Amino acid sequence: MSVTLARVEPSIAGVGDYIELMKPRVMSLVVFTALVGLVVAPGHIHPVIGFTALLCIAVGAGAAGALNMWYDADIDARMARTAGRPIPRGRITPGEAAGFGFTLAVFSVVALGLLVNLLAAALLAFTIFFYVAIYTVWLKRSTPQNIVIGGAAGALPPMIGWAAAGGGLAIEPVLLFLIIFFWTPPHFWALSLYRTEDYARAGIPMLPVVAGEAETRRQILLYTLILAPLGVAPWLLGYAGPLYGIAAAALGAILIALALRVRKEREGYRAAKQLFGFSILYLFLLFAMLLVDRMSGGPFGHFAA
Amino acid sequence: MMTASEVMDDASKPDWTGVRLTPEQLRARRARSIAIALALGAFVLVIFAVTIVRLGSGVLTGPDYMRPVETTK
Repeated sequence: MSVTLARVEPSIAGVGDYIELMKPRVMSLVVFTALVGLVVAPGHIHPVIGFTALLCIAVGAGAAGALNMWYDADIDARMARTAGRPIPRGRITPGEAAGFGFTLAVFSVVALGLLVNLLAAALLAFTIFFYVAIYTVWLKRSTPQNIVIGGAAGALPPMIGWAAAGGGLAIEPVLLFLIIFFWTPPHFWALSLYRTEDYARAGIPMLPVVAGEAETRRQILLYTLILAPLGVAPWLLGYAGPLYGIAAAALGAILIALALRVRKEREGYRAAKQLFGFSILYLFLLFAMLLVDRMSGGPFGHFAA
Repeated sequence: MMTASEVMDDASKPDWTGVRLTPEQLRARRARSIAIALALGAFVLVIFAVTIVRLGSGVLTGPDYMRPVETTK
């Protein structure tokens, strides 16, 4: 009997490769939305505990990103957008990425539970599980509804922030969740419109690959028509002031206008690219306005009529 | 039995078969080691800060079971 042993080369992975593995841009949006959830929650949280909570959420998000890159290394290598990631590039081995991701996941959840509170830790654990097991392993390769359902993972951070600040069950964090949940499909479908060949080559059943461009453009508009009023809802329900309401209405109107242009676009992807870019700004400004609203005297409805 | 310097001399011989890191691998390992050290240091600081915040003035009074029992007459 002969045994073949794979030769393990010493790692050449630098610190930057590991940071890249944690998807820093996604992480920054997760931390920002969690911060908003934390700040708008009722009650007071000590700044040190708040900072610790955000740190744990950031590390947890990074862990989920690393585990996603570990599992998706095969399809990442086939797509132009992701071929430069550390694993396809040969900088980090899949095993190193898995070890890094699992360690950080356990570490962030345990630290959040011990240092902040158990509800926030449970929500963080569920978010990582949902993103890795439900979205990455199961949905991403099996259904065009992958990013619709999987979007729940990206929508949970404000609820984790809310829970970290000691907030219980309430409508406000659910609203924040719904805003990100309905924001995700138009955002990713706008991207997938001009990356269709990439997704098709990798065998990912994104909506434009499976249902075609026209249907994708229609569904982008439908989700945007749900998202825009949801964005204004915190003001309509009295949780935020008129300043937020005006900003949310204006941003929502621009988003709908861009989605309409995407719907009408017949050649090229100029409108789709514009919608993708603006959708990031939309979410950032919406949550920034909530933050401003709360910081200028809140609580979450200080200026409410 | 070989002395330490003889072992060192052996290691520098051309027929030595251990893993030799390239300059790039050495640089990467050093950078990773420094990053881990900084992360551990930051973790210790976070634990310290949270402990002080959570205990507050209780840090000076110690745990309940160490305090003298007060009796009323």
